[in-house]
Amino acid sequence: MTKPNTGELDAEDGAREEIRRYAVGFFASLLLTGGAFAAVLSALPTSWKVVLVCMAALLQIVTHLRNFLHLSFSGQQSREDLLLVLFSVCLLAIMAGGTWYIMSDLGGRMHQSDETGMAAHAMPDP
Amino acid sequence: MSETNLYPGLNLGGGHGEAHEQAESTVFGFWVFLMSDLIIFGILFASYASYLDPIGMAGGPGPQDLFDMKSVAIQTAFLLVGGTAYAGVSLAVKYETGRAKVIGWLLVCATLGTGFLFFEVKDFIDQAGKGGLPQASGWLSSYWALVGLHGIHVLSGIIWIGAMAAQILRRGLDDVVKVRLSMLGVFWHFLDLIWVGIFSFVFLVPLL
Repeated sequence: MTKPNTGELDAEDGAREEIRRYAVGFFASLLLTGGAFAAVLSALPTSWKVVLVCMAALLQIVTHLRNFLHLSFSGQQSREDLLLVLFSVCLLAIMAGGTWYIMSDLGGRMHQSDETGMAAHAMPDP
Repeated sequence: MSETNLYPGLNLGGGHGEAHEQAESTVFGFWVFLMSDLIIFGILFASYASYLDPIGMAGGPGPQDLFDMKSVAIQTAFLLVGGTAYAGVSLAVKYETGRAKVIGWLLVCATLGTGFLFFEVKDFIDQAGKGGLPQASGWLSSYWALVGLHGIHVLSGIIWIGAMAAQILRRGLDDVVKVRLSMLGVFWHFLDLIWVGIFSFVFLVPLL
């Protein structure tokens, strides 16, 4: 276990730095949230809007992790924490992504009513 | 960062001696719980996305009939400001600016969380009145499960805040209370993070 650093900045500087960090996170989140709602209300094509909303959400999640939850990938915290988060995200990607992929593929195969869809999945003649 | 971080989340810092060391394993354990919570939410997001088509809606009311963007924006504002307000608690504990400030900021968080819940419950009642009950379709079941679970988390966060305020009054800011406040902070910010996913993917994308 690492001992607390003795040559650290004095408390007041530390506090100012941390308040700044929260403020940056807050204004970035505000901007990204406003951006997502503005994108929905705008007259852009639908596919652009989806991309914009998804981008804003991902950026905001990263902002929250960095500025509010103080998660850092710079290697200052113990290795277990980093591994825990990375492993959970990996599990989640497999389970959530897999669920979505399987269900949408299944839905596509089961509910195609047009001729081409039926033909594509029909058994070949013996 | 000016000092060594022992765990993710705002560290108490070396000045807090034993509480800082004790927080390492306790807060790490709490992160393990949060990651399992993250997986539950992630799976509910996946089932919501899977049901988000005409078959999943089964002829019942859809997003255009039920969702009110203005109310979602209000809830988002409440939760974002309420989440950021916890910074006041964390910094007041870390720099020891006094009990009154810690409790004051806790009350700000609880009030904003309650405002969020008020609008969320109002929306749920409106939606139920329009026929958007969980049993109406697979899509609505997954919607109520996901958004409802988040709402229950916010409610437990508010109860936890009340419990912490009572503990600060009774025992003062001792090591145990400091570590618990660190965990509450991680939990409260985590709820904000989940809400980012909910307002983006549950409300905004289906309304496009």
